[in-house]
Amino acid sequence: MLEISSSRRGLAIYLLVWLFLGCALAGVIRVASDTPLVNALLFAIPLNVLYAFAAGYSAYYVCRAYPLGGPRPGQLALVLTVAGVVSGFLWLSIANLWNGLCLLLGATWSGIVITSQLSVLMVVLGVLLYGFAAALHYLVIEFVRAKNAEQRELESLLMAQEAELRMLRTQIDPHFLFNSLNSISALTSQDPKAARRMTLELASFFRQSLGMEAHKKVTLGEEMILIRHFLAIEQVRFGERLQVVEVMGEGAAECLVPPMIIQPLVENAVKHGICNMPEGGTVRITARRAGSILQISVTNPVDEDMSSIRSEGHGIGLTNVRQRLAGAYKHEAGIHWGRQDNSFGVDITMPAQTSEQGE
Amino acid sequence: MRIIIVDDEMLARGVVREYLSEHADVEIVAECANGFEAVKAITELSPDLVFLDIQMPKLDGFEVAELAGSKTRYIFATAFDQYAIKAFEFHALDYLLKPFSQQRFDQALAHARTNLGAGGEAVEKMVREASGRSRPLGRVLIRDGAKVHVINADKIESIEAQDDYVQIHSEGKSYLKNQSMTELEGQLDAEQFLRIHRSYIVNIAHVARIEQATKDSYAAILKDGSKLPISRTGYQKIKTVMQ
Repeated sequence: MLEISSSRRGLAIYLLVWLFLGCALAGVIRVASDTPLVNALLFAIPLNVLYAFAAGYSAYYVCRAYPLGGPRPGQLALVLTVAGVVSGFLWLSIANLWNGLCLLLGATWSGIVITSQLSVLMVVLGVLLYGFAAALHYLVIEFVRAKNAEQRELESLLMAQEAELRMLRTQIDPHFLFNSLNSISALTSQDPKAARRMTLELASFFRQSLGMEAHKKVTLGEEMILIRHFLAIEQVRFGERLQVVEVMGEGAAECLVPPMIIQPLVENAVKHGICNMPEGGTVRITARRAGSILQISVTNPVDEDMSSIRSEGHGIGLTNVRQRLAGAYKHEAGIHWGRQDNSFGVDITMPAQTSEQGE
Repeated sequence: MRIIIVDDEMLARGVVREYLSEHADVEIVAECANGFEAVKAITELSPDLVFLDIQMPKLDGFEVAELAGSKTRYIFATAFDQYAIKAFEFHALDYLLKPFSQQRFDQALAHARTNLGAGGEAVEKMVREASGRSRPLGRVLIRDGAKVHVINADKIESIEAQDDYVQIHSEGKSYLKNQSMTELEGQLDAEQFLRIHRSYIVNIAHVARIEQATKDSYAAILKDGSKLPISRTGYQKIKTVMQ
């Protein structure tokens, strides 16, 4: 009852159903004992509305005390039957009382004759309606529970995503940070201006990555700003060895992506690709929008000797990206990676969403 | 003192060069940007001290130390490598964590100076410890003078014991490596490599069939046609794997 009445619309529907049942009862009385319709209605409707609350509340507590799927289903059935029969008889006595009051008025439009048939009908109907109320409660209780579970699941999913992003941040931090600091340390005497530039890039990169929240999507353009900071820092470390080609198709930069979804791919490309190449190579980042689909790919050259040995690191980061994509887009997004000749590529396809679409 | 600087990053080499400029008695005989260059330079120039980065292309610092031998002393440097740090923790050999200060660098240098001649054993021990970190071995490194051969584990067909050496057969060539059979066996992937005889390890993927050689001995025939003896315990092992 509490759950039903907690929503005003639910309560209205509940009462409407009982009102309808009242009308039906009145109709039965009229047909069975040739009573005028007004009398039947005056008798049946208040009784039904009363029973709506009485049976409703009673059944609610019974349902709460004996939840579905409890240890003793037999006991539950017994309790419900007893409660239903008792309510049925109670209802009958209230009906007699109410009819007595109506008869006291002495008006032609009030009061009916309660035959023994009608008495039996009322008790049977009382038991059935009690059952109906109980079933309704169980339905509502289950519904609410399912909804809560769904809510909890969503919340935990969100928390997991947040945790994942946090992990991702700490993952990039140590290696990258110490190497960058070493570069800065070298630059302070060799090229103080470059040292300052690098410090600023580093600050921008961390500020931006810290500002990202897992559940809020960012535009690819914003993600690319982060990546450019990252690459600018790595460029100082690797110098000529690191070349970057960025190709942004029309409309791609406006599309929304989960935060830090491309960054790990670029980081991998540098760490497992460029880092192992004495002469370096080109990291290629391309994004294009084809209708409702956004395609992003990151490729890097790989060293023949190293690739087979040190590719394990690739796996963890990529699996992480795959999971995050699945979490955000279910089966609508896909990620594939593989080696072709001497280059390693990761391709992502995901729905192209822009902020205007409200998603 | 003759020193070689090995680091794939130009800026990082610059720091070391700068710090070394404070020391008048030091001569930088070479600067290397990758492991192959380093092995070559170390074996050819035999410096007193090598300043060695750990994460590098081609060969990492440990692999360089393993290949170039323990005649010289090494100061390792790394930005962040938990294994390296762990390895260093157990041994008195010096290491530097990037970024490091001039003061810290001078300390390491002084330490290296006082231990002239010593430390070789510690390097060996540490290298062995460090090489265990990425087990199973995905590739085997063999030094041939100043040249380094890198052989992928998949391409190794068989390994034969030769006194203190192992002879590695791969793609029609054979290479001699200064390592014990048992040690190499321990480093390789046990799922892939099987010791079928006291003197033979075979790559299961390259075995074509098993033949009865004599009344109670067997031989493994490899895909390239070569024939390896199988001992009695070796036969029990390979029989279960080949099925």
